[in-house]
Amino acid sequence: MRKSLIVNLSGILSAFLICGVVMQLQGYPAIESYAALFNQSVGSSYAFLTVLKNSIPLVLTGLSASVAFSSGPVNLGQPGQFLIGGLFATIGGLFVELPAPLMIPFMLMLAMIGGALWSFLAAIMKQLFDMDEYITTLMLNMIADLFTYWAISYPFFETGATFPQTPKIVKSGWMPSIGKFNSGIIVMLLAFIVVWFIYYRTTAGYEWRMTGQNPTFARLGGVPTRRNYLIIMLVTGALAGLAGGLVVMTGPRRFIKGIGANYAWDGIMVSMVANNNLFATLLYGIFFSTLETGSLGMELFTKVPSEMVTVLKAIIVLVVMAGRGSLEVLIRNWMTRQKMKARAEG
Amino acid sequence: MTILIGLLNGMISAATPLLLSSLGGALTYYAGIFNIAMEGMMLSGAFFAVLGSYTFGSWQAGLICAILGALMIALIFILFSVVLKVDEFVTGVGLNMFSLGLTTYLLRQIFKVKGAFTDPAIVPVPNIPIPFLSGVPFLGRIVSGQNLIVWLAIAATIVCHYVVFKTRFGLRLRAAGYNRDCLDTSGVSADRIRVWSLIWCAVLCGVAGAYLSLGYVKLFSENMSAGRGWISLAAVILVSGNPVGIALVSLLFGLADGLGLFLQRSIPSQFTAMLPYLATIIALFIYSARRRKATGN
Repeated sequence: MRKSLIVNLSGILSAFLICGVVMQLQGYPAIESYAALFNQSVGSSYAFLTVLKNSIPLVLTGLSASVAFSSGPVNLGQPGQFLIGGLFATIGGLFVELPAPLMIPFMLMLAMIGGALWSFLAAIMKQLFDMDEYITTLMLNMIADLFTYWAISYPFFETGATFPQTPKIVKSGWMPSIGKFNSGIIVMLLAFIVVWFIYYRTTAGYEWRMTGQNPTFARLGGVPTRRNYLIIMLVTGALAGLAGGLVVMTGPRRFIKGIGANYAWDGIMVSMVANNNLFATLLYGIFFSTLETGSLGMELFTKVPSEMVTVLKAIIVLVVMAGRGSLEVLIRNWMTRQKMKARAEG
Repeated sequence: MTILIGLLNGMISAATPLLLSSLGGALTYYAGIFNIAMEGMMLSGAFFAVLGSYTFGSWQAGLICAILGALMIALIFILFSVVLKVDEFVTGVGLNMFSLGLTTYLLRQIFKVKGAFTDPAIVPVPNIPIPFLSGVPFLGRIVSGQNLIVWLAIAATIVCHYVVFKTRFGLRLRAAGYNRDCLDTSGVSADRIRVWSLIWCAVLCGVAGAYLSLGYVKLFSENMSAGRGWISLAAVILVSGNPVGIALVSLLFGLADGLGLFLQRSIPSQFTAMLPYLATIIALFIYSARRRKATGN
């Protein structure tokens, strides 16, 4: 535990250092830029609530990827499942009107069904025809992107709009917020708790983890790996779909072109840097959201383009992953040397 | 007739970048590397091609910068996956993200624009007219006037085929993927072979990127590789890396793309744009069916 904390913190710090040097070389004040970045994200409770709201899609797609990767299926389809989930929720919000206590669960359910449907396509291709899901989910991402683009350009297009988008969803489907606190955050935390509990505290979760670590062992131990594969794909698709629905309901309240663009690979990156640990996924999701939210402040104060943060995130992922790998090698080498020494002396 | 010519030309121009990056992917495939960084290499190549061509005012400089840009991604890949032994898949995803972030950042930083950059000062890679053939009615309009990089891609296919199957390097390359310990014990460093395969992969992906931004069109736009690296990965897996097979698969995907442009008149463009991705799924389906028949279940 402590070892991984050291790896993560030193990785993050060195990534900051690398980007800081780059900024300084380009003539930006690095320290002031970082100060602005954090001041605009965690500097006030007001800003931090925005960070939490923006972390919803990162955390949920990250959870989706973490659960999938550590249980076996290489579901890379979060971007597509996110979009279809968002589209389903939007369609519900355009054509159905219920009182808010019913409307919100209804739309969230639709979002999850949409996401699960999209991952189901990849799952069924794997189970019936043995087609690798890491390619089919990727191709389905592109198809979902184009399909939703079509859906908001023609059948659900807001007449008169100059940009591909749907009309606004009914008011009762908006996630209510108290001041800056958006209730979408509660949904995110609930989803996290449910997934965490299933994953670490139930038989099903145990089976998933075993299948991820050693599929042969799990199958010989009597785990129905085929059925579990389908369930995991559906659950992770639903999580990504939920993220899409929540983004629609907390943000623009309509489906607008490019809605998922910022989160395309972020969920997968979050799960990788978190080493598929669910709690670390939550923390990294919030951390990456901090960087993204703060990047706008940074641009405002020290003129550093906000795209810098995308580079920063990628460097964090690479450096943390490298640190994790090479630190293990270092420790192993050190232990071997100790053993050799002991043998030589004894 | 005009339609057919348009379709064939569309097919060739869509197939070219796929062919180049898939050949690069094939080299790493033979070396036993699960390389998904083609997307990032191509994107980086496309950006630096425009940067080089714009800055130095020549397409040769653009091409060289494209290769250097892709090499930069490959060197980071080598550092992480070969030297530091980080998981190849993770490195690839990280690098694709890095490349996307870097090109978007530099687009804003250097050219002060968001989205796309085009300028009259960008010199495109020339098209090559063939004097005797350009007069021939049907053939002339396809063979003559193709972009230089199209010819480079065809040459690269032949060279790759020769190198992989007929040279000592090719033998070692395949050995590195087939049984790296065996190669190591015979006195050839498998890691060194892997490094070279990644470097050549980057060169090919860089040229593919240059074709995207200096051949096909004359601009750079954010994320302009648009999943082509992933399609190349699928192409490589479908034919187990065979360069001639790759050329055929690339032409097939190119045809899907060209068909999409052609069908745009009757079907919404979003659906026609799906064709290459659908073609990948169908190709994967055929591949899986064949594989299952071969293993006998």
